[in-house]
Amino acid sequence: MIQCPSCGRLAEPSLQCSNCSGPLPANVDLFTALGLPRKLTIAPEQLEATYHRLGRELHPDRFAAARPEVRKASLTATSLLTRAYRTLRDPISRANYWLELHGRKARENGSRVPADVAEMVFDIHEELAEFAQSRNAVPADASDLTERVNERRMEIVNRLEALDRELAATFCSLDQVQDAPPDESVAQLLSILSRRAYLRTLLRDIEKALDTRPSA
Amino acid sequence: MNRVFGIDLGTTNSLIAEIRDGVPHVLRDPITGAALVPSVVALDAQGRTFVGTEAIALEERADADIVVVRSVKRYMGLGADDLDKSDRQRYNFAETSGSVIRFSVGDRSFTPPEISAEILKSLKQRAEAILGGELVQRVVITVPAYFNDAQRQATRDAGRLAGLEVVRLLNEPTAASLAYGLQKATEGKVAVYDLGGGTFDISILNIKGGIFEVLATNGDTHLGGDDIDRAVVDWLLGDAGGAIAQDRSAWNRARSAAEAAKRRLSDDESTPVALDTPSGRLAKELRRDVLEGLAEPFVTRTLECCRRALADAGLKPSDIDQVVLVGGATRMPLVRRRVQELFGRDPLCTLDPDEVVALGAAVQAGVLAGGQGDMLLLDVAPLSLGIETMGGVLERIIHRNTTIPTSATESFTTAVDNQTHVDIHVVQGERELARDCRSLARFKLGPIAPQPAGMARIEVTFLIDANGILNVTARDERTGREHSVDVKPSYGLTDEEIERMLEESIDRGEEDIEQRLLITARNDADQLLTALHKQLMEYKELADQEERERMERLAAKLETARAGNDRQLIVRLVEELNEVSRPFAERIMDFAIRDALQKGVLEQFSR
Repeated sequence: MIQCPSCGRLAEPSLQCSNCSGPLPANVDLFTALGLPRKLTIAPEQLEATYHRLGRELHPDRFAAARPEVRKASLTATSLLTRAYRTLRDPISRANYWLELHGRKARENGSRVPADVAEMVFDIHEELAEFAQSRNAVPADASDLTERVNERRMEIVNRLEALDRELAATFCSLDQVQDAPPDESVAQLLSILSRRAYLRTLLRDIEKALDTRPSA
Repeated sequence: MNRVFGIDLGTTNSLIAEIRDGVPHVLRDPITGAALVPSVVALDAQGRTFVGTEAIALEERADADIVVVRSVKRYMGLGADDLDKSDRQRYNFAETSGSVIRFSVGDRSFTPPEISAEILKSLKQRAEAILGGELVQRVVITVPAYFNDAQRQATRDAGRLAGLEVVRLLNEPTAASLAYGLQKATEGKVAVYDLGGGTFDISILNIKGGIFEVLATNGDTHLGGDDIDRAVVDWLLGDAGGAIAQDRSAWNRARSAAEAAKRRLSDDESTPVALDTPSGRLAKELRRDVLEGLAEPFVTRTLECCRRALADAGLKPSDIDQVVLVGGATRMPLVRRRVQELFGRDPLCTLDPDEVVALGAAVQAGVLAGGQGDMLLLDVAPLSLGIETMGGVLERIIHRNTTIPTSATESFTTAVDNQTHVDIHVVQGERELARDCRSLARFKLGPIAPQPAGMARIEVTFLIDANGILNVTARDERTGREHSVDVKPSYGLTDEEIERMLEESIDRGEEDIEQRLLITARNDADQLLTALHKQLMEYKELADQEERERMERLAAKLETARAGNDRQLIVRLVEELNEVSRPFAERIMDFAIRDALQKGVLEQFSR
């Protein structure tokens, strides 16, 4: 329990006093900060609405004339609220934070590159090197290569979309579990996150290569 | 709560505004009707100061005993190593030991916050004369969105030195969006392009249902209409430029002539420019296309900032629903054209670009006073905040464009056995190496009880408040005790320096002093109440029921008094509460010393 600086009564640890709705200087986890259960599936519109409602009620602008402890509580509560919103808004950072809460690190199987991705990374880097070399070569060759790199780009975009669907499904199945999450589901989550990270890096490399090419 | 006023402390002009019945108004000079106070301050060797048109009148007199400072905002938060050759040609700076620059006037010297404080005092006097008896005590002051921590601190210091309580520092483009947002038509994704006399800001906002959420901001705090004026001066003087740069009076006349010509060219295609110099009369014809050629490089720089802000917001130019123009320099047709080209839509400028920021500051003042219940502003930190790690590499702990207030915590430990302090260097900026970023502050964590390397665990919280200013607190992870953090600003005034400046400035009215004392008394009350409240929570067992109740009763009384204007009452209650809580405070001290003795760190206390 925590004492509310506004009304002086004891309240459950959260960012908002259950008695008087005043801000509480509580050090709670980011799900609790937004008044959400520890679930991986979150509707973005609902999250934004909650954030805006709590933001209006807790923001230091509302307490400019309040006592110092209340002002301070409003400041710490709001800063935690924004951190919570920023972290939980994005599915990837939300998943990483959720893993952290369950004592798991997202990068724990990180050094092992998934086999299917490894092959792709190798191929694409070879192509990109060739592409960079063609910078000074005949334009006819370059346009052929550009097409191939663009195809690769689409391939990765599609695979990322498929991964996002897989991620949403894994979120759903993990949200069904009441007790400690089963190891195989967690492993699957870790694998999706890891593959996704590799593909994102690849996509960035490709886009950079396409971007920096002088328009021939 | 007393009324809160909005102040636009601009590079070229400053304004004060108030909100009445939900509508913001600029307070105008009752005689001349002027809304703008030129941000020009004249200082003489006797310590007298003149602001605005009076100061401009003195500029004509080349006199060693009078220094006229223009665009002081450009110097806020700077150190001596930031000054360039043209700065040193225009002004004399005192060789200082500290990190803050000082303008020399005879035997005296003045820091930028002191000079800005004169502008603030002049605005305050104007407002009080208009309002007849009502005092201006609490204000919102606007700052460029891209101002760093030191520049923000310097602005807040200026407010304190003017005897004002700065309730909030508000970003200028955000202020403008509030003024426009009040007219309900402005919703959706809005880009605010703010080109003032000395600073440029671009902010991208999402405005929806009374919530003003800044998505990204970018800018340059040394880019504005002044730069275009200087380019025109160089064009005007041509080969004579070198000789005239030494003659401050002639240079000032050239600057005024250039600025006036630039303004005329917003309407005309061509204009004559004439200037009397020591070596004869200069007369030229300036065409708009020539002016635009001179201004183009500066406008191009603003567009680069716009593209970066859009990228950070994850938006394309075509996603923007409205573009708002702010700042006098946006009157230039070239600026309007370039902005129109970038965003592909006609910019909005229905509110006076010189007044819109002050109007927005008044709106936010209304929010803070509790009058504009449904509006909420979510602004961002313009620059990333990081700490220097091994090898001078920057570790980012708060990224740019993060919604504020925000915080991040980092754990620190010792590197060698029995280390008693950890040094932390906080910087602001986007570069990879700490030395390429702006140094913000250095502080020491400790004293840490002697123990093997890596055993100590100190958790440091970096909090950026709603003013965009950093606050640092530290806590020992094992004992849970708060550590004191002595933050030394790299480019700024310490609290002691401000106190001394306040004491030294003697030529102020009785009323001024009374207000300042009231604010000081309130601050004392705040400090005492916060400390006592914390002690009562932390050391419950050291006070018995009756003593505790006595302290709490008195604290409640003081809280009520603090909200009022009776300084004597606040001072008396602070003394009384200090007296009543002294035995309790002594017991805490004893307890802490005994605790420390057990840990063998008595020497730390006896320093």
